[in-house]
Amino acid sequence: MDPTIIAILVQDGVVNGAIYALLALSLVLVFAVTRVIFIPQGEFVAYGALTYAALDAGQMPGSVWLLCGLGAAACAASLRAEWRRLSPRRLARLLAGTLALPAAVLLATRELAPLQPGVLVQALLALLIVTPMAPYLYRVAFRPLAQASVLVLLIAAVGVHLAMGGLGLVFFGPEGSRATGFSEDSLELGPLIVPGQSLWIVGLTVALMLGLYGFFEFTLYGKALRATAVNRLGARLVGIGTAQSGEIAFSLAGVIGALSGILIVPLTTVYYDTGFIIGLKGFTAAIIGGMASYPGAALAALGVGVLESFSSFWASAFKEVIVFTAIIPVLLWRSLRGGVVEDEE
Amino acid sequence: MPRIRQAAVLAALALPLLAVGASADTVHVGVTLSATGPAASLGQPEQKTVALLPTQIAGQKVEYNVLDDGGDSTRGVANMRKLVDDGQVDVVIGSSITPVSMALIGVAAEKKVPLLTMSASARLIAPMDPQRQWVFKLPQNDSLMADAIVEHMARHGVKTLAFIGFNDAYGDSWLAETTRAAAARGVQLGSVERYSRTDTSVTGQVLKVLAEKPDAVLIAGSGTPAALPQKALKERGYKGHVYQTHGAANNDFLRVGGKDVEGTILPVGPIVVAAQLPDSNPVKKVALEYVHRYEAANGAGSVSAFGAHAWDSGLMLEAAIPVALKAGRPGTPEFRAALRDALEGLTNLTLSHGITTMTADDHNGFDQRARVMITIQNGAWKLLP
Amino acid sequence: MTWRALWPLAALLLCLGLPWLPGLPSFWVTLGNYIGISSIVAIGLVVLTGVGGITSFGQASFLGFGAYTTAILTVQTGMSPWLTLPAALAVSAVAALLIGAITLRLSGHYLAVGTLAWSVSLYYTFANLDLFGRNDGISGIPPLSLEGLRLIDGRMYFSVIWIGVLLAALATANLLDSRAGRAIRALRGGAQAAASFGVNTPRARTLAFVHAAVLAAFAGWLYAHMQRSVNPTPFGLNAGIEYLLMAVVGGAAHIPGALLGAGLVTVVNNLLQDLLPKLIGTQGNFETIVFGAILVLTLQASPEGIWPHIARVRPRPHRVRPDAAPLAARVMPPRGAPLLSVRGLNRTFGGLVAVNDLCFTLTAGEIAGLIGPNGAGKTTTFNLLTGVDQPGGGSVEFLGHSLVGLRAPAIARLGIARSFQHVRLVPSMSVIENVVIGAHLRGRAGPLRGVLRLDRAEEAQLYAEAARQLVRVGLAAQADRPATSLALGQQRVVEIARALCLDPVLLLLDEPAAGLRHNEKAELAALLRRLRGEGVTILLVEHDMDFVMNLADRLVVMDFGTMLAEGTPETVRRDPAVIEAYLGSVA
Repeated sequence: MDPTIIAILVQDGVVNGAIYALLALSLVLVFAVTRVIFIPQGEFVAYGALTYAALDAGQMPGSVWLLCGLGAAACAASLRAEWRRLSPRRLARLLAGTLALPAAVLLATRELAPLQPGVLVQALLALLIVTPMAPYLYRVAFRPLAQASVLVLLIAAVGVHLAMGGLGLVFFGPEGSRATGFSEDSLELGPLIVPGQSLWIVGLTVALMLGLYGFFEFTLYGKALRATAVNRLGARLVGIGTAQSGEIAFSLAGVIGALSGILIVPLTTVYYDTGFIIGLKGFTAAIIGGMASYPGAALAALGVGVLESFSSFWASAFKEVIVFTAIIPVLLWRSLRGGVVEDEE
Repeated sequence: MPRIRQAAVLAALALPLLAVGASADTVHVGVTLSATGPAASLGQPEQKTVALLPTQIAGQKVEYNVLDDGGDSTRGVANMRKLVDDGQVDVVIGSSITPVSMALIGVAAEKKVPLLTMSASARLIAPMDPQRQWVFKLPQNDSLMADAIVEHMARHGVKTLAFIGFNDAYGDSWLAETTRAAAARGVQLGSVERYSRTDTSVTGQVLKVLAEKPDAVLIAGSGTPAALPQKALKERGYKGHVYQTHGAANNDFLRVGGKDVEGTILPVGPIVVAAQLPDSNPVKKVALEYVHRYEAANGAGSVSAFGAHAWDSGLMLEAAIPVALKAGRPGTPEFRAALRDALEGLTNLTLSHGITTMTADDHNGFDQRARVMITIQNGAWKLLP
Repeated sequence: MTWRALWPLAALLLCLGLPWLPGLPSFWVTLGNYIGISSIVAIGLVVLTGVGGITSFGQASFLGFGAYTTAILTVQTGMSPWLTLPAALAVSAVAALLIGAITLRLSGHYLAVGTLAWSVSLYYTFANLDLFGRNDGISGIPPLSLEGLRLIDGRMYFSVIWIGVLLAALATANLLDSRAGRAIRALRGGAQAAASFGVNTPRARTLAFVHAAVLAAFAGWLYAHMQRSVNPTPFGLNAGIEYLLMAVVGGAAHIPGALLGAGLVTVVNNLLQDLLPKLIGTQGNFETIVFGAILVLTLQASPEGIWPHIARVRPRPHRVRPDAAPLAARVMPPRGAPLLSVRGLNRTFGGLVAVNDLCFTLTAGEIAGLIGPNGAGKTTTFNLLTGVDQPGGGSVEFLGHSLVGLRAPAIARLGIARSFQHVRLVPSMSVIENVVIGAHLRGRAGPLRGVLRLDRAEEAQLYAEAARQLVRVGLAAQADRPATSLALGQQRVVEIARALCLDPVLLLLDEPAAGLRHNEKAELAALLRRLRGEGVTILLVEHDMDFVMNLADRLVVMDFGTMLAEGTPETVRRDPAVIEAYLGSVA
């Protein structure tokens, strides 16, 4: 194993790790705000990637129909939950957010898809199609369970994962896709050839992390989210609705998932079920990072990525065995260092 | 309220009672395949093909009952028991992947129902024993394909070989066959790397392979995932021969592989290049009919070698059912036993994948005519002489 | 004979007779077989997840240990399947002990991810080792046979499986109703509280883990001989998630819930397979989609699972046998003897000094009050005295033993019992069941005696003791009510009864009077005085000054972690430092 190989493996690990880091961040965020372990995060990656790939190929992605369906379901769920407190203004906002928005996206997709309008427009459109599904899902599936235990929320997340996985197969078929990248150039650094897309991935990951930091530190919504994460009741007392913060958290998770997918699909083949194992590794990183610390989760994600890269070099058949066994001592160390923790919810 | 809920639960539990029984003069064919889950790229074309299978054979109505096992052997066995016990089927087609089919063998033997499997491994039909007597295998043995690849390598001066295969049963089977064939022909098998279908990166595996500078690399994967290692090899500047297996032979592989898979060499059933076969080849007509039927239903370019196995199972039934009808009526144990015997007695039957002659010891029956070597030229499959 | 005693017999007859019912479609029997096998795994999850609060994604791996053990032994060595059963269970139990030794130290979500991690690892290990037949697995496993009769027919195997389910349910019900099982149930009231009554919480968690693993391995053994071939897929992460899902849907805290969950998930999947093609057409594959949606809606309709929804689960009334022989009681130290001496006790959290150089003593048979403003370090002091937390420095002597470095169960064994500032009762248990946890150290029966029902005499003694303590605190009438249905003040009294079950020399009470009404306070004071009369020493933290001034013989006043004053209530009341601490600087 010479230095060149080490350098390439590290580079590969960092790029994969950056994606795990994004997912870890979003899992931490969703869990902290809503206590939902967001297993369908992986589906958002696959949906983002495959929607973008379909647009890239000039096709109408099936996911846009799901967007419309989920919007309508979210509308119904919100009406059921809030009909007593519904002012005309709120009703108008609800209808705009759950019915008009998907309809507009549907029309835009129908017009733009055959034109193959270039990577940036396609990426934006893919984000628009996939992202709103997350807050809709929150309204439909998780908001009615806001008082339930973490375990029940977890199983509900499994249900959403199963349904979205099945729908992904219907929309995108069993075979994988790739798409045009943001950059076809590559950078030569001595023996290393760094594809431009990898730089995009790492760059956007860092930018997104900084953006999230700014969001949490300096904006009202960000502070509200942090407040909810610390204390649900307290946040409500100062006028921040848990439902609203849950929706924001899910929206962020949707953006992050879809963006991760759009970023990786030029580098690798993505399948309807690719997301699950990626999400699992992001989840693992989030836990190693402590389910509360954002920089910790990001660092852990890079660690997972690099470990994975090296173990696929050393013993590829046992890659997952190595990655998932190696995290147990880390978990143990974290758990012991954490001192006395009560297990109740 | 609780009463209503209880009633609803009871009603739900009682619903299966309404499941229909089987009627006498219809041949019931059960199908279990992996239309969802990791093997969906095999199961879905098979499922779409079943819809095209003959509904009338020798004056008998033929009904197909298709169930999805998701690539899970537990569900596969449950499906088969359901088909046999509930549906009273006379024959079962399935499943798509070897681990599931492996689990079906026992049920086939226990219920004395012939099983036409669309999975590849030779272990499904060998060594022949009282259980496997009920199993007939449609895809070519991996050994037939592996021999063709290694022979091609030997002819083209390949001395060292590296292997990158799926970390699943398909990869296992190919690794075993390649090891055997390479040893027999004096090709040296170097590093053996594995990857998973949904892996996003195979950089580690590819670097390991490149470090050895092998003359050729064999990639054993199925469908689009088979393209990932090849693209990574190209990216890292590998100049040697790249071989794929017949699992890669669908048009999605070409779509995803693009320029990077030009020049790949792989063995396939003749169906993949049916139009390029000489008219003298009897397979051509049969294979083209399937291609036309399938693409008429599912769109141009949609056909794959996987679905053709399901088509071939229909052809085998078309040949065997008339024979079996002489021994008994559909739905009887006599009919099923006779059907098994008739399948075992098929000789020189032309299928879309080749020409089969079953014997008591060989329940696959294919010979050299069931494989051709092809390459990829200008984004299309090209028959090699 | 009551229904309680007769139901296993009736169930046994059902197991044997049901599959032979004329007209029963034979696929129903097959479905029943799958339900049975899943039920056994889900029953294990009731103990582990529903009762013990440990979420495991990895139960399918233990199924794998059982299935592979019997597959390898029967196929390669030709052993009889009946002989491989103990081996399968033992392999799984050992694996659970090893895995548990590492992962059970993890807490909360770390643990869930830990189970997820080894589930993925084990899957790829099974799939890549020749011993396990790699991805193709092992086929040609012999069926079970009885007296030469091969149990291939689903109907015969149905009886085997459902007798297995029956045994699993009985063993689990017995376990949960025993001393060892109560320790597992006590985890739900908080590991600290359980430990304070002598429950070895790591051992209780390990027991739950091993029990669930052994049941899963049993299911795996049944699976292997029904399927007669094994490969890694049924033992992967997705299968593990599915078992968890069954338990949660049915109602994870209840054994019938496990059966219901396994049954519903299997039947609904089967129905969808039949109905959806008729509704939507045969080309689509919508089963998982619809199943996922049904799952979410079901949870929304009944988040606790379906069983509690249809069965109105209540704690079962407990028949107490007052004639049971009394438990051995501790000899109290003579009144006035030095009991506890705290010297130079320290505890800091980061930069915050919670307890600083604290010194005080207690003598046997007195009621002492520990008072001070909020944040003075009173509860921290309690935690240090009971081994929940360890001091940074100083010494604590109790009846000649040093308490520093001892863990909570060891300290409880010496005779120190406590109540908690925030009530820590197990919500799913009745009052008396909660109280009997306090007597944990006064019984000896292990899990095996519990499972085999050989612990009844001792259990009767423990319950009689709990009933006596409830009479003593005046809550006898509430014994069978769910603990959390009581008013908060009464729940505090239940905690005192639980503490008394330990037969304590020293009773530490953290704000016992908070939330009590006036007359209840008077009753509590009378009770505490009575206890003092019986030789029990009491140290209480209390904010209600009237209550504590009238009751305590002596007060220790803390502020900012240090002792501010000590003496009789009269002297303390006049101490200027105390007045300043409570009323703020007057100057």
